[in-house]
Amino acid sequence: MAQEKLEKAKPEKVSAAVPRRSIWSGSITIGLVNVPVKLYSMIYDKGVSFHFLHKTDGQPLKYVKMCTKDDKIVPWNEVTRGYEVAKNEYVTFDKKELDEVKPESDKRIRISKFVDYFSVDPVYFDRTYALMPDKSKEAYSLLLTALARKNKAGAGRITLRTKEYPALLHTYKGALVLTTLRYAYDVVDPQDFEDLQKLKEPEKAELDLAIKIITDLSGDFDITEFEDTYMKRVEELIAQKLKGEKIHIEKPPEIEAKGLMVALRETIKQLEKPQ
Amino acid sequence: MEELKELTKVQLKNLDKIFYPKIKVTKGQVIEYYIKMAPKILPIIADRPLVLTRYPDGIDHDKVSFYEKNAPDGTPEWVKTKRIYSETTKRDVDYIVCNDLDTLIWLANLAALEIHMPFSKINALEKPDFLFFDVDPEAPATLSDAAEVALLLKDKLRDLGLTPFIKTSGKKGLHVIIPIEPEHTFEKTRAFVHKIGIDLAKESDTVVSEFKDTKKPGKVFADYLQNSPLRTMVIPYSLRSTHEATVSTPLDWSEVKKGINPTDFTIFTVEKRKQNPWKNIFEKKCKLEI
Repeated sequence: MAQEKLEKAKPEKVSAAVPRRSIWSGSITIGLVNVPVKLYSMIYDKGVSFHFLHKTDGQPLKYVKMCTKDDKIVPWNEVTRGYEVAKNEYVTFDKKELDEVKPESDKRIRISKFVDYFSVDPVYFDRTYALMPDKSKEAYSLLLTALARKNKAGAGRITLRTKEYPALLHTYKGALVLTTLRYAYDVVDPQDFEDLQKLKEPEKAELDLAIKIITDLSGDFDITEFEDTYMKRVEELIAQKLKGEKIHIEKPPEIEAKGLMVALRETIKQLEKPQ
Repeated sequence: MEELKELTKVQLKNLDKIFYPKIKVTKGQVIEYYIKMAPKILPIIADRPLVLTRYPDGIDHDKVSFYEKNAPDGTPEWVKTKRIYSETTKRDVDYIVCNDLDTLIWLANLAALEIHMPFSKINALEKPDFLFFDVDPEAPATLSDAAEVALLLKDKLRDLGLTPFIKTSGKKGLHVIIPIEPEHTFEKTRAFVHKIGIDLAKESDTVVSEFKDTKKPGKVFADYLQNSPLRTMVIPYSLRSTHEATVSTPLDWSEVKKGINPTDFTIFTVEKRKQNPWKNIFEKKCKLEI
């Protein structure tokens, strides 16, 4: 009986599908050593997304660019880019001019230093990519094993598309992965909030209690304990719709507005009376 | 809804959103409550820089709430504000001033469930127009114990020829105030209130008068420290962020007695009360000789 329960409780594997194509290939460079790799997306922002349709005929809608002066639709070949230097004042660039100053991806992940993975605060984490061996599996395996053995991460930089990122090369579930990082200027220092200026020292008794609560509720982190309840409900609704069921949506009661109006009239009358 | 627009400038939104989940009180009900209480609230909070605690998604502990001094982005131009320079943070703060019904409704619509006010008015920020005694019981002491202390305090103050008024904090404490002529500094009023607390502590084993003793179990602290510029108390008839939607309720002294409970005074019961114990309190200002 107990055995059966245990088996039931075993969670099914929850993860996103493997992407078909790599988005970048190049090599990890550490001093004179190169490890050729391919870079794959590893993070999906799933959620639920809807298309906008025309209510009356059900056709998908598209966005158009309209001139704010005469509300006319502007074709692509008449679009240029403006950088706002003052209110309603722009310096304009065409795409070619901008392309010329874009940083070239040099196909390298340059590692300059090895650091303790946990010394990098997650607030700086931007996006994680999976690295897969390209051509030689030996070099990949060597780097993976050494990093895992030393429990370290490589800090360096990568240029993806047109932007150079600080990045962290680390291991995750027996693979090399690369997490791009945010720059220091992208992150707010919470100590700059005035709310933190006069924080009181907690009383010992309170602190002991708080620590006890934390200790009592301590456990291992398991991401699969968290479920996207909104997505689940929308999926249920979609299934219902497909079956042709009518969906009942509860409308907010109008009564509330009525109560408000009665109260408002009464109070306005009272306030108009000389006190 | 069209008719509603004729009655108030405020564009009311999300009226059916639940603010108090345990008792299923909606934002609409909160706004209605503040509308009904406005005649009692407005005379007391008028011309004071207010501080808000906003609960945009209701009071549940896993929801965001925030303390707000600065008028938020999108404050309509008809809302009165007062710019005050903050020495501690070295910047200007635009405080909201609520002198009319529309502003009060606007605050409720911002989910400012709790509203706090200082003890002086914008035209004389350094000169308090009332004294404030925060009678604050530490568990296992309760509101009932605080009531006993408040009654001692009342007798003491009346002996001095002063006219004290009282309200529940809406949580476990009681607030005793005395309207005074705005002629003294906070330093003076704070020292006066502190002195009364010290005397009270001498007469009663329950009472402590010093901040360091506030966490002693079972004691009631006669807190004088809020008598300072831009320190605040929750306004009379403000809702509190408790599951029962308790209200900081002005009481007649005859209602202050053993057995009194914060949950006697909630969004449901307070609007039906006939009493208006703080009516015209600023016409009963005491002249304080200190």
